[in-house]
Amino acid sequence: MPVDTLITSENDTDIELDFAGDEDFQENHERQKHKGKRRNGDRPKNKRENQRRKRSSKSVQGIREESQSTTERRERRRRQRGKAEHETSGHQGNKGERDQTRVKTTKSKKNLKNEKTRKLEGKEDGEAQERSEKGKLKPVCAKNEEKIESGDQLKEKEKALGVKKKKKRKKVVETSSEPETSEESEDEEEVNNDGEVRPELLSPEELEKLKEAVDEKKKLIQSLRGKPWPMKQKLVTLRESQLFVEKYEGALGKGKGRKLYAYKVMMTKKWKKFQRDFENFKTACIPWEMKIKEIESHFGSSVASYFIFLRWMYGINMILFGLTFGLVMVPEALMGRPYGSIPRKTVPRAEEAGAMDFAVLWDFGGYAQYSVLFYGYYNNQRAIGWFKFRMPLSYFLVGVGTVAYSYMVVIRTMARNANESGVGDDNSFNFSWKMFTSWDYLIGNPETADNKFASITTSFKEAILEEQESRKDDNIHLTRFLRVLANFLVLCCLAGSGYLIYFVVRRSQKFALDGLENHTWWERNEVNMVMSLLGMFCPMLFDVISALENYHPRVALQWQLGRIFALFLGNLYTFIIALMDAINLKRKEEKVVKYNITMWEASLYNGTGSENSTAPPVTIHPADVPRGPCWETMVGQEFVRLIISDTMTTYITLLIGDFLRAVLVRFLNHCWCWDLEAGFPSYSEFDVSGNVLGLIFNQGMIWMGAFYAPCLPALNLLRLHVSMYLQCWAVMCCNVPQERVFKASGSNNFYMAMLLVILFLSTLPAIYTIVTIPPSFDCGPFSGKNRMFDVIQETLESDFPAWFSKVFSYASNPGLVLPFILLMVLAIYYLQSTSKSYREANVELKNKLQMQNEENKKKNKQAALKAQMDLEEARKSACQTAELQRNNNASVQRREDDEEIYNKNQRMYHVRNPSPSVGDREPHFPVRGPAPRNCHNGNHGNPRYLPGFHQQSEPRMYRVPSLERH
Amino acid sequence: MTLLIKCMYLPFSFYSRMVSPAIALAFVPLLLTLIIKYRYYFVLFYRAVLVRIWKDCVTGLSREERAFQYVLTNSTPGDPDSILDAFDYWCSKVEFISNIGPKKGKILDRLLLEQSPLTVLELGAHCGYSTVRIARALPLGARLYSIEMDQGNAAIAEKIIRLAGFDDDTVELIVNPSDEVIPRLRSDYNLERLDFVFMDHWKKCYLPDLQLLEEYGLLGKGSMIVADNMLFPGAPKFLRYLRKCGLYEWKIHRAMLEYSRGIRDGMAELIYQGIK
Repeated sequence: MPVDTLITSENDTDIELDFAGDEDFQENHERQKHKGKRRNGDRPKNKRENQRRKRSSKSVQGIREESQSTTERRERRRRQRGKAEHETSGHQGNKGERDQTRVKTTKSKKNLKNEKTRKLEGKEDGEAQERSEKGKLKPVCAKNEEKIESGDQLKEKEKALGVKKKKKRKKVVETSSEPETSEESEDEEEVNNDGEVRPELLSPEELEKLKEAVDEKKKLIQSLRGKPWPMKQKLVTLRESQLFVEKYEGALGKGKGRKLYAYKVMMTKKWKKFQRDFENFKTACIPWEMKIKEIESHFGSSVASYFIFLRWMYGINMILFGLTFGLVMVPEALMGRPYGSIPRKTVPRAEEAGAMDFAVLWDFGGYAQYSVLFYGYYNNQRAIGWFKFRMPLSYFLVGVGTVAYSYMVVIRTMARNANESGVGDDNSFNFSWKMFTSWDYLIGNPETADNKFASITTSFKEAILEEQESRKDDNIHLTRFLRVLANFLVLCCLAGSGYLIYFVVRRSQKFALDGLENHTWWERNEVNMVMSLLGMFCPMLFDVISALENYHPRVALQWQLGRIFALFLGNLYTFIIALMDAINLKRKEEKVVKYNITMWEASLYNGTGSENSTAPPVTIHPADVPRGPCWETMVGQEFVRLIISDTMTTYITLLIGDFLRAVLVRFLNHCWCWDLEAGFPSYSEFDVSGNVLGLIFNQGMIWMGAFYAPCLPALNLLRLHVSMYLQCWAVMCCNVPQERVFKASGSNNFYMAMLLVILFLSTLPAIYTIVTIPPSFDCGPFSGKNRMFDVIQETLESDFPAWFSKVFSYASNPGLVLPFILLMVLAIYYLQSTSKSYREANVELKNKLQMQNEENKKKNKQAALKAQMDLEEARKSACQTAELQRNNNASVQRREDDEEIYNKNQRMYHVRNPSPSVGDREPHFPVRGPAPRNCHNGNHGNPRYLPGFHQQSEPRMYRVPSLERH
Repeated sequence: MTLLIKCMYLPFSFYSRMVSPAIALAFVPLLLTLIIKYRYYFVLFYRAVLVRIWKDCVTGLSREERAFQYVLTNSTPGDPDSILDAFDYWCSKVEFISNIGPKKGKILDRLLLEQSPLTVLELGAHCGYSTVRIARALPLGARLYSIEMDQGNAAIAEKIIRLAGFDDDTVELIVNPSDEVIPRLRSDYNLERLDFVFMDHWKKCYLPDLQLLEEYGLLGKGSMIVADNMLFPGAPKFLRYLRKCGLYEWKIHRAMLEYSRGIRDGMAELIYQGIK
């Protein structure tokens, strides 16, 4: 009989099944590997399947006369199987979602088997075989069904869909591959052959169901993260559901829609890949990103944070440079009057001889002084060039704009960082923080990892000690005393360095009065030298002193930064005060010169007038014209010199302190009496705080001096560029990772805050000079004006329509300005108070969350206790009712079998099946029951009828999860 | 005379003309930093070198002899603990001798207790401190071979050992350079395997001696080797060899240098694993 033929093959199929499964697995594997080219990867599979189909169709052809019966058989078989599935699903509806996936796999296996059987059935002649073979099928089925043990409704649905889906897929595959391999009649036949199956498969209901299943899977993938499963299971489920979605998504469309869909899928995948590549490309485009990452992996994020800061600074300076270069220097150089045309653009006769000497140029005198690099070169001509470029206005606005831009950027970055830092850490979970957050995941170097490991262990030890100490609380006085002492020492040091600078500045003024030519280079550059040296050595001293205080390194770093900040600030302000003195001196000199010049001019004209009144005025070479001491240029020069000497000291320190030391240590170690590497000189560590502050103060000087020396941003850009490469190299080649590697995530905003303070402090003197001191009479773009900002008024008056200047004058009326400022203050106050209230609300919410958490914990504990008790009760009752159930067994079994089995296998099935499904379970119930249930408590919302179970025990069993779910 | 004074001042005046005093003053913080940072080294230098030279000149005795005199007068004969205490006191308060010291000694004691070795080799007895320390911690029936190169030191070490009450059966002092003794250990002293080796002699000899021990098969699986002063003065070649060769399971116990607070030092603990 046909059914028998079908069954005979089972023996083989079982073996083949495994193989097929393997193949399937391989395919999956392949697909995972080639995620990018998934589309292409699919094609071979399709072909393979197609070939398989072809083979089967051939065989079918061979036994065409039997085809009718085979289809019949197939139908019947499917029906039977579907029923069995229905049963089983109705059966053990409580197995949890974990089975869901397994079901699917078994399902697919079964389907494959189905296919295989069909194939094989063709080959083997459709004669009836021994009945015993039937028996072989049944166990297989039973096994499958046992495996299935499916769960909830979702599961059921899927299962119901299972077979159809499979077929669907096959069909899809066939149809899609048809155009590719459409030559032979066999194909057509195959289509015909399958056509018998197709119509029912294509029904919209099924499609709908399929769609639903796919959607469900998608949902599952999305919600997977929150599911309370073990990670392994999650991974398996995720993979399988992804595969499922991938497989069937394409089948959803019809005809053109499907192609379009496939195209869409392909495009989305390509788009994703492109996006990923683009991200990579963007990363590659970020300047020095790879370098910084490498450093980060070697030295931890604190060192890397310096380099990131350096890069950020570079970006800002780029824009400052663009502004000054594009709007001030280039226009003046291209469109302004050429060199030598007027006195301010010419080297005076007295300096002409040595104007090209390197020493002079190095000091930014000579030709360098009389060039676009400095304030004095610019002419006060209102508009230059053929398109009337307003040079003085541009100069002024660029000066203001650079500062304004810097303020904006710094404040914006600070705000962004503040957002990133979030609510901040609280000290309530000190050890948890240490436990879960202390590792720096960016470390990629074993040595640094070792250091980090050691530092974490020591930090744990220290934290434990601290915890103990805080209870003892006896050593606190000593610590306090030491901290006060350290601060006292630091203050002494600061005072000493301040006095030294003051002394040097006074001396230099004396030298200046004497005339600089009489003194050596050392004496002339004394101020810069002393400032650089102090700035270099004092931080080292602070560092040594701060060892007394015994702070956490992060805190210590901030103290260190604060101290160095104070030092640098003191130095800078001493320098500025000295400059102010120099300015006053120059202005006195200027008055004299001005008077002299008028006298000189008068004498000149008088002389010419007396000789010949009609003769044209004598032309004097601009180099010979007497001129005032341009204090603005002097200030600019001082700043440029300071920057240069600062840069030089930095680089030389780097080379000597780091590189030379490293070389000595490395190569003298072979022939030295102690271990140089581990002992005395050792290699140097990267000094984050000093470098950051150096950078910040450097920037402050740029902001201060950029108004008087437009070349400063360019110089700074050069310096930053060089120091980026030099320091990257130096760090990688001659520094060792810090002994206490710590994360610097919190310190970035600290840098920014310092930068802001420096910005403010550095704009202060610049604005002061601009506002209070009248510009020199014969140099610079504002010469001849009373104040530098008069240029705005002038522009308003002459370049704008009258009404505009009127409006402006009204707007600048104090009666309008004051209310406006008041409004602004009010707005700031309002914003601040709202932010404060938000913060409070945040804290409150946090507390609430914490409370809730604790409450939940308590509840869970209670529930667990209760559940345990219930469980025990249930166990007892189960034992009691076990006997009762045994009595019911026979009837239940019979009913079940009637439903399930209606063909010739009935007897075999009857014998074999009950043992796993019913007979097995009953006696062991107390043992088997609870175990899986406890694992999967999420899915048993509604207890359903289980044929094998006793009704009474069920509700009790389900109370466990329902309680735990609170 | 005035000429001489002028000559003396010449470099200074030259200096002051070259570099202004302000710039020289700017170097003061650097100087202070260096002094503070390396103060322990300066103290060590003072105690280990200057005081020693001074006392050598004054007393005419060698340092070890002075130590022995002190120990002899300030300890109970036959009591190793009191001898060690006397040594520790003398070395920390009076002069400096680079013994293993109390803190690192404790690590050594612990290792010995864990290992309870039967044959122990000590390289570099110096004046017997570490020998007494090891002998004290040995189990019954164990034997300690102590090698000392210097005759004078060996004589004092012998006296100290006997003073502590250890006889010839427990401690055998061999007066010879280690590289001569090690090859003869098997033949002359019937040693098959060393359970424990303590190295505290010349730091440059650590590596050659270790290789000799390997070469003559004196180390068996599980033999422990402890080497002192790994970081200061340090034996970089020895460490490099350890990292490379893979014959040992090793770690470094970090500690401070003996009788001093701020100088870091370490003891290497090696366990011979043999060739895998």
